[in-house]
Amino acid sequence: MKEKDQNLDVLVIGAGIAGIEASLMLSKADRKVHLVEKTSYTGGTTIKFEEVFSNMECSTCMVAPIQQELLQDKNINLLTLSEVEEVKGSSGDFTVKINKKARYVDMDNCIGCNACFEPCPISIKNEFEEGLSERKAIYVPCAGALPNVPMIDTDNCLRFKGKKCTACQEACMFEAINYNQKDEKLGLKVGAIIVATGFNILNPKNLPKYGYEKIDDVYTALEFERLYASNGPTEGNIVLKNGKTPKNVAIIHCVGRDEKGYCSSVCCLYSLKFNHYLKSKIPEIKISELYTDLSIPGKSHQKFYEKMKETKVDMIRTSEIEVTKQGKEIVVKYNNGIGKKNVLPVDMVILAPAIEPGYTTSKLAKTLGISVDEYGFFKEENPDSSSVISSKPGVFIVGCAQGAKNIQDSVSQASAAVGKILSSSK
Amino acid sequence: MERKIGVYVCECGPNIAEKVDIDKVINEVSSIEDVAVIEKFKLLCSADGKKFLEEQIKKHGLTHLVVAACSPKEHEKTFMEVCENADMNPYLFQLANIREQCAWITEDKDEATKKAIRLIRAAIARVRYHLSLEKKEIESNPDVLVIGGGIAGIEASLQLASTKRNVYLVEKTSSLGGLLTNFEKIFPGMKPTSHILNEKIQEINTNENIKVFTDCEVEEAIGFFGNFEVKVKSTTEENEPTEFNVGAVVLATGSTLFNPEKAPQYGYGKFDNVLTSLDFEKMNILGEISLKNGKIPNSVAIIHCVGRDEKGYCSEICCMYSLKFARYLKEKIPNVEVSNFYSDLCIPGKTDQKFYEQTKEKNVEFIRSSDVEVTKKEDQLNINYKDENNGKKNLLVDMVILAPAIEPTVDASKIAEITGISQDEEGFFAEEHEKINPVSTSTEGIYIVGCAKDPKNISETIVQSEAAAGKILSSLIPGKKIEPEVKVSHISESFCIGCKTCLSVCSYGAITFDEAKKVSVVNEVICRGCGNCVAACPSGAASIKHFKFNQIYQELLEAVK
Repeated sequence: MKEKDQNLDVLVIGAGIAGIEASLMLSKADRKVHLVEKTSYTGGTTIKFEEVFSNMECSTCMVAPIQQELLQDKNINLLTLSEVEEVKGSSGDFTVKINKKARYVDMDNCIGCNACFEPCPISIKNEFEEGLSERKAIYVPCAGALPNVPMIDTDNCLRFKGKKCTACQEACMFEAINYNQKDEKLGLKVGAIIVATGFNILNPKNLPKYGYEKIDDVYTALEFERLYASNGPTEGNIVLKNGKTPKNVAIIHCVGRDEKGYCSSVCCLYSLKFNHYLKSKIPEIKISELYTDLSIPGKSHQKFYEKMKETKVDMIRTSEIEVTKQGKEIVVKYNNGIGKKNVLPVDMVILAPAIEPGYTTSKLAKTLGISVDEYGFFKEENPDSSSVISSKPGVFIVGCAQGAKNIQDSVSQASAAVGKILSSSK
Repeated sequence: MERKIGVYVCECGPNIAEKVDIDKVINEVSSIEDVAVIEKFKLLCSADGKKFLEEQIKKHGLTHLVVAACSPKEHEKTFMEVCENADMNPYLFQLANIREQCAWITEDKDEATKKAIRLIRAAIARVRYHLSLEKKEIESNPDVLVIGGGIAGIEASLQLASTKRNVYLVEKTSSLGGLLTNFEKIFPGMKPTSHILNEKIQEINTNENIKVFTDCEVEEAIGFFGNFEVKVKSTTEENEPTEFNVGAVVLATGSTLFNPEKAPQYGYGKFDNVLTSLDFEKMNILGEISLKNGKIPNSVAIIHCVGRDEKGYCSEICCMYSLKFARYLKEKIPNVEVSNFYSDLCIPGKTDQKFYEQTKEKNVEFIRSSDVEVTKKEDQLNINYKDENNGKKNLLVDMVILAPAIEPTVDASKIAEITGISQDEEGFFAEEHEKINPVSTSTEGIYIVGCAKDPKNISETIVQSEAAAGKILSSLIPGKKIEPEVKVSHISESFCIGCKTCLSVCSYGAITFDEAKKVSVVNEVICRGCGNCVAACPSGAASIKHFKFNQIYQELLEAVK
């Protein structure tokens, strides 16, 4: 194909930290970007974190300025509540079909005052808060979500179940709520695609030995992130289910590593970060980190580990862990490094589950016509070379959708994919 | 000049109107000097609101604008655009936040109204002293200097070079390829390195837009984003330096190994057959793994984490290349015994654990150990160590391979000085932001990639080179002018006492010292307006445009009156 026939517009799938970075860079190069995000908000998983290792910077403060920049960028067409349904064509000339779900709240009229939440009679578990708090049927996932425009969850809204409720519409002073909005099918033409759809964590329910969902106060890492978050369900107060403050916490690394067959790269470091979360809120708390091998590569991470160790955390090398309930206590049974059986009574357990490809990965791989590896992540064409090149020319894979990695490496991959795209039509 | 200040209060629907008595606000504020007009509006950020404001500015011939509404984060940009559309300089505008910082957080309506009045009075007091600021545009040079001809520099050069953009690739040795030229294979794919590397070097050599300087060093790189003046000098000949201009610089100067002689317990330099990983790669690529006496080793120990304690960081790739070494050995000497002495296996990512498991299947031993010491016993080397039970053990082997920590190259400090960027405690180049700006530095236009930035594998290095190329391709576009920051620092020549305090606090290298006049001078193109110099200046000579002393003072005075 001749260069002049190449479509220069780019489709970015996923508005997490990697997708945002890629979109802003492309816009800076005067490229038109269609940024497709399946949720109602931007920022992905990064905005669930209160702080990031290793400098413990506030995550929202780190991401909010670039989220804001994204919303104000005229080259970027942000499509929230949207999913890619069909992709045809080849590099330089893709035709894409998008299903854009109705938000039922007008983005231009809404000013984000939140007056519509209060009168909504529905209350259900908030998925963004890992089910630890409730939300209404019209809602934003958390305070500070961007764009700061609520959506109506039609599965739970009374009106969409045939009732005559108009409570939110009556509360809105800006005529922003429009029950007549319809889902839209959009057709786009782009020259290149960046896939940045992120990750899920393994559900520890599938590994019964960890007691998750059987025993109270056994949390996943993401649940614990929300417990510590100042905009989370407890406004950052770390409390047990019975309302008491925990005194003894076990953080269990490598949950699901054996089953998955890979090290998820970030768990050791965020587990050490949790140690800081706990100590900063509950200085007298006793923390045990149960790990197998410490994986803390890179120039700044060992220092972080040593600083965390100063908080007198008990680092225990273990194998064969089992979380049990004995009376009112949680007891963690384990073999220590040399095979001796031990028990550890605690009142809270935090699990660091393996990072998995996002739920939509395999379906999206088919839609895009790109390969996945044996673990279900998008597969790079050549493991020894650039990891952002997929099996299909013109389609680039970045962030945790390509494999478990930290924020820095996700952002680097996003920039690299942009480099590849801009370089191919320089 | 006669000032005509227009003040507009946004009701923000009920958000402000219900919490603040806007009519009272208008009444209190309207009599302030220079306030030509004061009005309220239902929603100023709406299309109608913006049109209304634009018409008001024109109709009343306003010289300054105050909007009392929401946080500047929400709509400062919106209203600055309105000013521009109405031919008013956008810096003659001030936004008073009476929503987030007033209406939404003040329960009592009287209190909220009083606070709103204070905030608006303060904004009026401030805007009175605002000055018009003009955006500047400067020409930029799209060419790029890449320092270091290893895989990182090669990749960056190939991504960047085009008919519209020349790349100058400077390598201090006599050939391209860097450390990779010593490796027979690379993990995890275990394909021959030469295949990948030779092809790329060939591409570099045939690309008309890449000028390669081998046996050369960069002597000078002075300037700023879009305009660096570079001098490159031969290290072998006494020639005049070659001079050229570029718009950006990529530092890909790579790494070296920690010298194990500094950790004498490993016997390096003392005993024969104790090799570093690089010694071993070099021996392997030449075709034969052998002992000093020419014999083939029957047993080899690979010691991980050499120098880790001394350096204070994990070098990330040693576990993986140690596994690769085990494969080299098992392939070439099938009956050789290979034992890895390690503390923690660091094999992050989706490919590495499988590589480990497959290596282990080849009868490779893994011994978790501490306090490892190498001594000599007759013809062999004795590895003394503590096992997991803290029990003292030993193992006799023919050969020892050490996996020393990765360090920045010896000339990293020199290059940091030439380019004016910072290094971290370990001597690696420091990134602008560890998480969200990993290949940028605090000097715009200078990028850092590969092991010069921190230890990493080849795939990650290539990604970073592509990332730096992406940053350059998206910001330094041939023919497009660049717009430097408008709100920059200025140092008054008459007030400056020449103490140079500002030079030590400037993170961007934007300040130089004029030795003739004995005063500090700000380069407005490099300055990002952070304000460090203003805070540090003991004589009050430094000030930031739009945040001048009097502007802030007048605003505060009204706010606390």
